[in-house]
Amino acid sequence: MELEAEKSLIQAESSDGPNSNSSDFVAHVRKLLFRRMLVGIRDGRFFLGTFHCMDKQGNIILQDAVEYRSTRRSSTSPMEQRCLGLILIPSSCRSSCHVGCSIEEQLSLLKL
Amino acid sequence: MADDAAAAVSVPERTSIPSGDDSVWADVSPLLESACKDLRDGELIHGDNFNLFAAMSALEIMDPKMDSGIVCKYYSIDEAIENGAAPVPISINKTVDVQCTIDIMDHLLACEATWHKGHSLAQTVFSCIYLLRPDRTSSHALLHSYCRVIRATCKAVISVVSDARTHEEDDLFTMAYGLPLDGDGDEKCLSLLNAVEETISRQLRACKAPSSRRRVLEDMEPLQTNLDLEEGYCKALLCRLRFRKHFYHALTSMRRPQGRGLELARKHIATCISELDCIYRSSDFLRSSACGTSEDGIENRTTASGCQPIGFDASLNCRLSAPTPPRAIKILSWKKAIEYFVKLLHDLDIICSYSLDPSLEGVLQFVVQFQKSQPDLVARAHLQLLLVQDGKLYGRDSMFTVITRAAVLPEVAKNHDVQKNEYFVQLGQLVINMLKILCTNAAWQRRKLGKMLQDWRVMYVQLELAFRKEFGEVSRIPEDENVCVKIFQHILLWVEEQTYWIASRFLILGFELELYSPSEYCMVYWYMYVVLIKLSEKTHLKMAAKNDMGKRKGKKKRDSAKDVAREYRIPPAVLFLQCQICLAEGLTMMLAALRNEHMILQSRNPFNTEQERFIQHFELLQKACIPDHVSFHSFRESTTYARLSTLVMYNYFKDAQRIAKEAKSSFSNDPDKLAELRKIEQVAEHNSIALNVISRVGALDPTLKASFEFSHHPYFATAVVKRS
Repeated sequence: MELEAEKSLIQAESSDGPNSNSSDFVAHVRKLLFRRMLVGIRDGRFFLGTFHCMDKQGNIILQDAVEYRSTRRSSTSPMEQRCLGLILIPSSCRSSCHVGCSIEEQLSLLKL
Repeated sequence: MADDAAAAVSVPERTSIPSGDDSVWADVSPLLESACKDLRDGELIHGDNFNLFAAMSALEIMDPKMDSGIVCKYYSIDEAIENGAAPVPISINKTVDVQCTIDIMDHLLACEATWHKGHSLAQTVFSCIYLLRPDRTSSHALLHSYCRVIRATCKAVISVVSDARTHEEDDLFTMAYGLPLDGDGDEKCLSLLNAVEETISRQLRACKAPSSRRRVLEDMEPLQTNLDLEEGYCKALLCRLRFRKHFYHALTSMRRPQGRGLELARKHIATCISELDCIYRSSDFLRSSACGTSEDGIENRTTASGCQPIGFDASLNCRLSAPTPPRAIKILSWKKAIEYFVKLLHDLDIICSYSLDPSLEGVLQFVVQFQKSQPDLVARAHLQLLLVQDGKLYGRDSMFTVITRAAVLPEVAKNHDVQKNEYFVQLGQLVINMLKILCTNAAWQRRKLGKMLQDWRVMYVQLELAFRKEFGEVSRIPEDENVCVKIFQHILLWVEEQTYWIASRFLILGFELELYSPSEYCMVYWYMYVVLIKLSEKTHLKMAAKNDMGKRKGKKKRDSAKDVAREYRIPPAVLFLQCQICLAEGLTMMLAALRNEHMILQSRNPFNTEQERFIQHFELLQKACIPDHVSFHSFRESTTYARLSTLVMYNYFKDAQRIAKEAKSSFSNDPDKLAELRKIEQVAEHNSIALNVISRVGALDPTLKASFEFSHHPYFATAVVKRS
C-alpha cells in the first residue's frame, strides 16, 4: 500500500514536474489537501469530507464524505445526513466551498 | 436560484455543520478559482495517497444515474404531505374520494407486482406516501384498512422469501431499511378490513333494495353522493378488499407447519382468483365514470380507471433503496399486474395441491415439473419452505428416513446405529441443499447444481473409504449376515444414482437457458447420453436390489418360475431412461454424421476450438469425474467415424420410439410421464423420417441441409431438412 502511494507520488512528481514552477495559488491549494472541506451544491445540499483532489476544471473529489440535506425548503429546517464515501463534485454544480481552519489562517487566506 | 446560491454561501455559519474545535469555515472558492486558472491542462492537485483507478469509483454528485440524493420535488415526506401531495381525505367530494381511493388501490397492486418481479420495495410499494405515514390515514377507514393489509402482506412475503433464502441475485427484494413495515396495529389488519367490507356490503344492499325497503335502511349512509354510481363503486371496492383479505389468508395458511394449511390455502386462492376477475371486470365501469381520461395509452396505465393515482412519489425514499442505483423504475401496467397475480396464484395452487409425496423421487419429479412453468420468486420461496422445514422433509420426515426410502435400505436400517454416522448426517444435509437449490431460478440453479456435483462425488468417495475401512474387502463377508454391508452398498449405489440425476438436470438446464449453440449440440447430446447411461445403470441396480429384497421376504409363497419372469422385466423407470438414451445417442450420431459429411450448416467459431468449448461446458462434470474416464477424446473417438449410411442401418430413433411405446403402458396413471413419453415419441418419429430422407436424397442433392429446432420437446431437438 505504502509502496503504491510512493509510486503514485513519483508519477505525480514526474508528470507535473517539480512544484517549483506552479503558481502561488496552486501551492496554497495543495496545502489544503487532507483538510476538512465543506462543499455546497446548487440543490441546497452540503458535502463534508476530506479534500482529496482537484483538476483544472475545478471538479473536486472528497474522501469519506457525508451528505447534509435539509428536510424542508426553508433554510432553518433540521438537516439529515448520510455517509457517501468517495465522491466527485463537478464544478458545474458547486455553489460554495469552505475549508475548516483557524482564524489566523482565515485572515492569511483573505490576503491572497 | 441566485438567491439560493447566495444563501448557500453563507450557510455554514448558520447551520449546525460544525467546523471543529477552534476553527472556522473559511471561504476558499476564490482561491480555488485562481488555482484552476494557473493549473495546466490535465494537471491535478492531489496528495500522496491519490490513485486514479480508485478515484474513478467516486460517486458523481448530481449524476442522475449515481446520485440518489438529488433533491427532486420535495425535500422530505413531511414536506410533501404539507404541500398536499397525499391529502386525507383525498377529496371532500365523496365520489371523487372513492374514485381516488380505488386508483390508489390499483396502483398499489401494480407496484406490488413490480416489487415481486425484482425491484426494490422502497421504490415500488412504498412510493405510496399513505403507506409511509401509517397513522395519518386512521380517519379514513377504507384507505387505512387497505394500507394496513398491504403492509402486513409485504411483511409476510418478505418473511417467506428471506426464510427460504432463495432470493438469489435479486436479493434487494427483502431489503426494507427505514420503511414502516410494522405499522401500529397492522397485525389486526384483518378485523378492520372485515369491518370495512361489512359496511360496504350493507351499502351495496341498501342501494340495490327496492324503494319500499330502502326506507328501512335509510339510516345507512351511502358510500358516496352520486346514487347512480353507488352500486358500481361498492362492487369495485368489495372485490378489491376481498382479494386482499383472501390473499393475506392464503399466504399465512401456506406457512402453517407440515403443510397443514394447504387445503385451506387452496380455498383462499380460489377466491382470490375469482375476485381478481371481478377487479378486472370493474375496469369498464371505472373508466366510464372517471372524468378526463383518454383512451390512448390505456394499456400502460397502472389503474383500472386510467387515472393517475394521488399520493405516490418514488423519489421521496429513493435514498432508502440503496444499494440499488437511483434509476427510474417502470411500474407494471395494471393489466400486467393482474396477469402476474393470476399466475402467482396458479403457481401457489399447484404447490398447495401437492400430495406431499414421501418418496424423494416423487419430490424431485414434482419440483422439476413445477419449475417448467417458470414460477416467480414468491412461489418458489413458498415451495422451498414447504419442502424443507426444520431440516426435515415437509417438517415431517427426517432426512435419514427419506434417504432410507430413496436408497431402498432394508427395514432394519430404520433403527440401526448407522443413522448416527457422521457421513449420513452430511448426506442428509446434501439432500436438503439439493432440494433448496432445485427451487431457485434456472440460472442460479444450474450454477449451484454444477458446483454441488463435487460435494456428492466427495461424499461417495468418503463413504466408500469408510466402508472399506470397516469391512475390508466386500467379497470376504457373507452378504446375508451383515446388515451394515447391505446398508452401505445400497447407500453407495443411491449416492451415485443421485449424482448422475443432478448431472443430467445440469445438462438439461443448459437448454432451457439457451447456453448451447447448434454447433455444440453434438457434444451436449453425447454427454447427456453418457450420463443417462450411468443413471439408468444405477437405477436398474437399485431396482434389482429392491426386487431382491422383496423376493426374499415372500420366498416361500412364490414359485420359482414366476420369479424368473419377474427378474427379466425391465423396470418402467429404467425404460423411461432408456428411450431418452436412445434419443440422445441418435441425435449425437446424426449430428456427428451430418458434420462428417458436411451436410450441416456449420458456423466456425472464431474464438475457441471445439475442445475448449467442451471444457467450458462440462468442466464441472469433468472435475467431479462424472462419469469416470470420460473426456473430450472419448467424445471425438465415438463421433469421428459416424456416417449416415451406418446410422440408417442402425436407427436409434426407431428404438427410442419402440421403447417409449412400451414404457407408456406402465405410466398410465402418471400424466406428466405420459406427456413426456409422447413428446419423446414425436421427436424420435420426426428424426427417424428426417434421417431417412437425408440419407436417401442427400447424396443426390448437395443443397440439402439439416437444421435443428425444439418444436416437439424442450431439450431433444427435431431435425428439419431443407434445400438451402
